[in-house]
Amino acid sequence: MGASGGPRLSGMQKEVLSLYRGFLRVARSKSAEDRRKIESVVSAEFRQNSKKVDRKSFLYIEYLLRRGKKQLDQLKSPDTVRLSSLNIGASETKNPNP
Amino acid sequence: MATGLFRRAVSRISTARFMLARAHASEAQAQQVEPKARSSPTLKTFSIYRWNPDSPSKPELQEYKIDLKECGPMVLDALIKIKNEFDPTLTFRRSCREGICGSCAMNIDGCNGLACLTKIPSAGSNTTITPLPHMFVIKDLVVDMTNFYNQYKSIEPWLKRKTPASVPGKEILQSKKDRAKLDGMYECILCACCSTSCPSYWWNPESYLGPAALLHANRWISDSRDEFTKERLDAINDEFKLYRCHTILNCARACPKGLNPGKQITHIKQLQLSSGN
Amino acid sequence: MALRAAILRHVRVPVQTLTLIGPRLKRPVPYGGSLRFLSSHGDDHLTKEEVIDRVLSVVKSFPKVDPSKVTPDVHFQNDLGLDSLDNVEIVMALEEEFKLEIPDKEADKIDSCDLAIEYIYNHPMAG
Repeated sequence: MGASGGPRLSGMQKEVLSLYRGFLRVARSKSAEDRRKIESVVSAEFRQNSKKVDRKSFLYIEYLLRRGKKQLDQLKSPDTVRLSSLNIGASETKNPNP
Repeated sequence: MATGLFRRAVSRISTARFMLARAHASEAQAQQVEPKARSSPTLKTFSIYRWNPDSPSKPELQEYKIDLKECGPMVLDALIKIKNEFDPTLTFRRSCREGICGSCAMNIDGCNGLACLTKIPSAGSNTTITPLPHMFVIKDLVVDMTNFYNQYKSIEPWLKRKTPASVPGKEILQSKKDRAKLDGMYECILCACCSTSCPSYWWNPESYLGPAALLHANRWISDSRDEFTKERLDAINDEFKLYRCHTILNCARACPKGLNPGKQITHIKQLQLSSGN
Repeated sequence: MALRAAILRHVRVPVQTLTLIGPRLKRPVPYGGSLRFLSSHGDDHLTKEEVIDRVLSVVKSFPKVDPSKVTPDVHFQNDLGLDSLDNVEIVMALEEEFKLEIPDKEADKIDSCDLAIEYIYNHPMAG
């Protein structure tokens, strides 16, 4: 299968997508309700960052990747059943021009 | 109104006399010191690495000028002073302030060390403080120690036995001579100064265990009560885990506790040889 | 107290329930994943038509997709206006539909119905 039509993915983009996939995968192992919750939180976080973060600020993206991987590792443990997020300074996190 | 004033006047008189003597002494001191201090506060500039993940931009060195006459003698004192009086956003780890917790490990003027055990270098020069080298930064001087701790965990730093203790529920005894073999290792506080000063560790941080973890490996290998010596030696008998040590000995230079991890690694290598590996 | 009980009920989430949600579609009866040979094109392997059918249904049921635009050769990002994150979600939904686990390397390449159908059709374990 060759690449077809779509934009070529950089290594870092692949890592981000792989991380996203990891979260969706681990969500499957939780209860239906928690799964939905995890999916919505994770999806919102990735989408917000995909708009907010400058694609050239590699240092920051690498940082987010490392943080994400750590959170994913925690979520993978069967003892972890859910994930919640806290919105600190809602005005700041809101995206001014979506 | 009037009585109030009167009362206050009276009390002032009574305390004034008492105060007078003391005020004299301190005034006299102040008069001697102040003209000098005013003209020449001993200012020193600290350039400190700053990076904040919440407002992502490139990391930079931020300068702070401090009067050393109003600051404790150690680098940690300066950092705390900066955080308290100039910039509460400056982020660093610290706890015991006496070199036993290992939290405040950082790079000071190019050398790894504990901020609490490092004297502030003389006022003449600039001092640069950066996070431990080749570590991922979480914020400012705080680095991600996950990999370092996982490596420590991988050498199984606990007593492992095949036979139960002779008296169940009691400690396993050790001769003074055997106990002495642990000197130079048990003191390690896992501050990561050594590992992060090691060029070999910089290039292979994932596969080479690094001086700190290997020192602890040797600590358990050398323990007379531990019965998994052979297994421990086998577990680290690896081209990368152990033999990336090229006896550069930056570790010994960096260790704030005066230990010599390089020597302990050499000991492991000798044991590997004599056990026929 | 009642609140505590309510919280505890929530916290003690049993781990054994591995519910499959997502687009579970009605499927032809005989393929229950029962007897399947490992050879890729046994008699019981999915037919190409069936794969196409089920892939398209999954894509059509994706919330952001206009079902009328979905054809077997549609490109997720170029034709359906999805982004790479949506792409991941679609491939994950396909994984569940066909009971597969697609490795990252392959999953990154699947960016159209065409490639998805191709990959799943050629996969020996697709059910």
